[in-house]
This record gives sequence, structure tokens and C-alpha cells, in this order.
Amino acid sequence: MNDKNKIIKQTFQKVFDDLEVVLGWKQGFDSLHMTPAFIRKASDLDQLVFNPQCVQNLSGYLFSTLKAADPEKQGKIGICVKGCDSRSLTALIQEGLVERDRVYIVGIPCKGVVDVKKLRNLKPSLTEISGITIEADEVVIEADGKTERFPIADVLAHKCLQCRYPNPLIYDALIGEPVTARVAQDAARPAVEQLDALSLEARRNFWLTEMDRCIRCYACRNACPMCVCQDSCIAETRSPKWLSQRSDISEKFLFHMIRTVHLAGRCTECGECMRVCPVDIPVTLLMEKMNCIVKELFDYEAGIDPESKPPLQTYDSSKTGI
Amino acid sequence: MTECYYISQNELPAVLETVSGLMDVWVPLKTGTHKTAIEFAPFTPGCRPIFDRQSTSSPKSVLFPQSETLFKFRYLKDESDPTRQTVALTDLEEIRPALVFGLRPCDARGFLVFDKVFLDGIAKDPYYAKRREKTVLATLACKTPDSACFCSSVGSGPGDRQNSDLWIIPIDDGFVIEALTEKGREVLPRFGKPAGESQIKQAEKVQKHIDGLTVGKADLTGAGSEFTRRFTDTEFWRDQVSKCLSCGMCTFNCPTCYCFNITDDAHGLEGERLRSWDSCMFNHYTREASGHNPRPEKYERFRNRVGHKFSYFPERYDGMMACCGCGRCIRNCPVSMDIRQIVRSLKENADV
Ligand code: SF4
Ligand code: SF4
Ligand code: SF4
Ligand code: SF4
Ligand code: SF4
Repeated sequence: MNDKNKIIKQTFQKVFDDLEVVLGWKQGFDSLHMTPAFIRKASDLDQLVFNPQCVQNLSGYLFSTLKAADPEKQGKIGICVKGCDSRSLTALIQEGLVERDRVYIVGIPCKGVVDVKKLRNLKPSLTEISGITIEADEVVIEADGKTERFPIADVLAHKCLQCRYPNPLIYDALIGEPVTARVAQDAARPAVEQLDALSLEARRNFWLTEMDRCIRCYACRNACPMCVCQDSCIAETRSPKWLSQRSDISEKFLFHMIRTVHLAGRCTECGECMRVCPVDIPVTLLMEKMNCIVKELFDYEAGIDPESKPPLQTYDSSKTGI
Repeated sequence: MTECYYISQNELPAVLETVSGLMDVWVPLKTGTHKTAIEFAPFTPGCRPIFDRQSTSSPKSVLFPQSETLFKFRYLKDESDPTRQTVALTDLEEIRPALVFGLRPCDARGFLVFDKVFLDGIAKDPYYAKRREKTVLATLACKTPDSACFCSSVGSGPGDRQNSDLWIIPIDDGFVIEALTEKGREVLPRFGKPAGESQIKQAEKVQKHIDGLTVGKADLTGAGSEFTRRFTDTEFWRDQVSKCLSCGMCTFNCPTCYCFNITDDAHGLEGERLRSWDSCMFNHYTREASGHNPRPEKYERFRNRVGHKFSYFPERYDGMMACCGCGRCIRNCPVSMDIRQIVRSLKENADV
């Protein structure tokens, strides 16, 4: 067990009696895939790991886990968060969906996580690995007794390449030393700029082509920590029936547009929507664009300050011009 | 091996192009800006089919589209009696012949599950039947199983020829293709020229190697009674599925999931009846008109998925699993759920 894993375990051990469940990561079906762990027995804390394959944002489970928790006990939920995950958790607190004192947050400074789909593209037969290390410009992968190095852009998740908040912004315990952000806080967003540079027509075509592949599996919605409607989503309500079941671009486009608007000023750019999409639609890119607009109009970023109010949840009649 | 053809890798694109003039040709292609998803898509000149790994989505959409119009309808006013209406229906669309090239044995087995339900059941499904009749399945013997695959655990295997029309064996610089059915024999002569002795020898060697592979550790057949015994063990099921997101990714990409929904799409007096994929992972699955939902909780719906594949289906269809072990629901699941592990856990500590 490496040091970090040990410290995570010890940290939770100290407070375990106050916790109803601990949300962390453990190894999944092979050493490349980590999977969310719901730990209810202290002896299972041994399973917890942290490595660049811990891709899932566990904050998404908080709302439903709290709802299902024993109301009598008012026990806390222990949770591991990376920098980006901590923003989602903060946003949930801001919106009153999670109570701060019901969570025990273990924050883990993060150098980035891998994009398993990119990796599969790079090395189709890769399944068992002995370790992945992230350096400044390269990712080092050890597998089959060999060490290979790849440029970060080929392996890391899109969000990590432009991560401005690698250190958790909210926590009760921090594991290890803070890391330096890959880019400055006001850094440009090349992917958004690239799209903005296109003509309106070309941009429209880009999104139509992307979204045409959508199979409406709703993994993007269900993995999103801020998509809290889920079972009551307008995409599936029958009355009123906003969307038809036809597999048409118009329906798919509408779903994504509605979702984008519903996440305006709420999306924390955790990248889950893009990560989980089975047909490789860059869903997060839409949200990023929306966030740029929100930033410009309201000078606001979601999930930074637990005390501040999201702009679309406030109404200030003295503000004009919006 | 009788009736074998050989085609080199270089010649294949030109042949697929010619064949696509005669029928719709579906091949596994990388799609999207980042080219990380592989889907079965129509062959276009210059495209590069991916054979070195399994496709992200299954080819089921070729025979069972995500959404299809069953018929169109139009209400007509009855001139003689204004209080009455009649309905005019339009015919089904013409189905074009198709070739699916480069699916895997697990995918072909997926269609075997569909065949049981849509062809051999109490009612034959005319939409599926028409497409099935006109579709040639050209299956690639599978040399590249990965850590999510488990076809051997469910009674199949990477060399399983059942349900394919053409059987493709990859050899050094090309493919040896064998016809397994009459449909296959009809298109076979388009694929290169009759294979030579050395090519056949090579293919036999590859086939033997593949037949020797066991893909998947445990035997997952015959879990029906364990499933029944565990059915009311709520704690077990809740614990197994707590991390599941209830999305439709696993079922929509699964080659054996066939649940569908039927909805009417009407605008004014005209409309159409649609059949579209449904998923037992969704909250509204089998929710009744009254609002009652027989499976309101996530664990109940997930239990249905496991039960359907490993208990109800084999009970109904001579022990056949409604899972071909393709591993898509494991490999692509956002949270790495592992259905194998759940079925194994059913069998372990069976006495509860
Ligand atoms: S976005 Fe930042 S905090 Fe999140 S996984 Fe990537 S590097 Fe880590
Ligand atoms: S929209 Fe996407 S990036 Fe934004 S919070 Fe939801 S999952 Fe994360
Ligand atoms: S995850 Fe991808 S395919 Fe699924 S609904 Fe979202 S965008 Fe569509
Ligand atoms: S098993 Fe995975 S893919 Fe299926 S619904 Fe659950 S989270 Fe989605
Ligand atoms: S249940 Fe999973 S492994 Fe089985 S056929 Fe479906 S996708 Fe493949």
C-alpha cells in the first residue's frame, strides 16, 4: 500500500464512528479501472486507493446518499474529492442540496487523471498496468515490465489539461502537499476559442454533427453532480411531452440545449459528462462556453465559494442590461 | 474447410465499396472528433474499419434501430357524420439488404437472443424479421479479447460460429473467409479469390488457437436458482448497485438487450407510431399509466437486468443466457460496474 493510500485510510479511521458511509475509490475489474467504493465497515477501508485512474467525481452520489441515509442518526458521509470534485461539492452546498455539516471531506491534491478512452486508443490491448505516474509534461505508464512515456495531451482528460483548481477548495483533511496548477486562473480556453473562431454556420454544423451521434443514454446527465432532477428530467417526462422518442438530431439538440441552460452558472467543469459519453461527444465543451458567458456577465464561477449565491438563483432588479 | 475465399487487407476496401453498391454495408468505424468511440456505421470510400478491438456499441441497431417508425397514421373526418373519424395507415418502408462486416462472435450471438424473442416467440415481429432475412452477418473470429470479455463463461467463445453467415479468419496479411449459410455463399465470391492451400493452413492454425482460448474465468451459466433464492435479499442488491448511475449506457450498447417502448408522435391529425429502445435502468421503465411503478428503486431495476439475462431468459429458452459476454456493459460503464462479479456473488454464499 503506498503512502497516500495509507494516510487516506488512517484519516477516515479516526472519524469512522461518526460516519455512515465513506465514498472513495477502489480497484475495479482490472488495474486500469478504478471504481467508486461505498465503505460501510471499518475493515474495508483497506480497499481505498488514490491514483490517476480515480476518474469518477463522487460528489454526484451525495444528494441521493444523504436522502437514503437514516434520518434519525444524522450521521455524516465521508467523501474523497480531487480539486474539480470539490467544486461540485461546494456548488451542491451553495444550492442547499448538501449540508456542509453532514459531510466529512478528505481532499486530495491532484496532478490529473487519465482519459481511459484516449488510452485505449493509444494502446488497444492495455488492461493490466503496474502504475501510472504523472509528470510535468509526460505520463509514465508501467505495464508488462516495460515503462513507456507519453505526452500529457495524449493521455490526460481534457479537463486536467486546463485545470485551474487542482487543490481541493473545501475539505476537513488534506492528504499530502498542494500541487501547482497546470494553468493560471485566468488562462485562455483553447478549445472554446477554437470553436468561437468558427463562423456561426460552421459552429452549428460542428455541434449538429457531434450531437447526431447521441444515443440518449443520459449517462452525461446521470453522471453530472449538478443534474439533480434525473428521474424527473424534461427529456423523459410524458406530460408535458417536451421531447419525442424519435432518434432525430432535432430532439437530441434540444435535449442538450436545455441541459446546457439548466447548468448555466452551475456547472463546475468536472468533466464527467464528457468522460462518460459512449459516443465521444465533447459535452463539457458546451458547458465551458456557457461558463465563459456567465463569467463575463456576472463575474461568477460555480463551486468556488460556499457562501456565495449562484447568479441564476438570485434576482437583483437594480441590475440592468442583462 | 470448404468454400473459402482469401482477400488481402489492401483489397478489402475496394471490395466493400463494390458491395456497398448492392447493399448497405456496416463496418466498425471510429467516430467523433476525438476518435475514441467505435460504432457500426455505413461504409464510405476511404473509411478505415477498426478490427483490432471490439466496437463501443454493438451492431444491434442495424437490425433493431434505436427508433423506428412502425407506421404513419392520419385521422380523416367522416363527411357523413362529423362526430366520427376514421384512421388511414401507411405501409411499412421498404427494407434494403445489408451486410454487417466485422462484428464479433459475441455480437452474432446477440442476434441469436433477438431471434428467439422476435422470430421464435409467440408472435413473429415483422419489422425485425424483414431486416433479419435481408442481412448477412460476416463475423470476425476474435483474436483480441480483453479483461472485460467473458464469452466462454456464458456458453459461447471467441471461435463460436453459430449464427454467422460468413466467418472471417484474420491471417498475416489478410482474411480467409468461409461461407456458413446459403446467404453467405451468395456473397462470398465477391471477396477475393478461392483461398490457396497455405492460406487455408494458416487460417486453420489461427482457428485452432482461438478455439483453445477460454475467455472469462468463472462459469456463469445456471445461476437461475441462486438468483431466485437471492431475489428478496434487499440488502444484497442495494449493496451491489449503490454506485450505479441508472443511465442507459449498458443496455443501449448491449447486443442482447431488446426492451423497447412504443409512443405516438402526433401533430394535429397526422402522426406516427414509434418503437424506440427502452432500458430497465431507467426510472420510468414499466411505469404504469396509473403512475404505479413495479420497480421504483434502482436495485429493483438492476435486479431485473441480472435476472432477465441469467435467470428468466434461460428458463424460458432452453438454458440459453441472454448475455453473450461481450463485456461492453463493464468496459464502458462510467463507474465500472461488473455484472460478472454480481452473478458470481449470487453463487457465492448462496445460502441466505
Ligand atoms: S481537473 Fe484538476 S483536479 Fe480534476 S482530475 Fe483533473 S487535474 Fe485533478
Ligand atoms: S455539466 Fe458536465 S462538467 Fe459540468 S458539472 Fe455536470 S458533469 Fe461536470
Ligand atoms: S452520454 Fe453521450 S450519448 Fe449518452 S445522452 Fe449524453 S451525449 Fe448522448
Ligand atoms: S451499470 Fe453502469 S452503464 Fe449501466 S446504468 Fe449503471 S452506471 Fe450506467
Ligand atoms: S450484459 Fe453486458 S456482457 Fe452481457 S451481452 Fe450485454 S453488454 Fe455484453
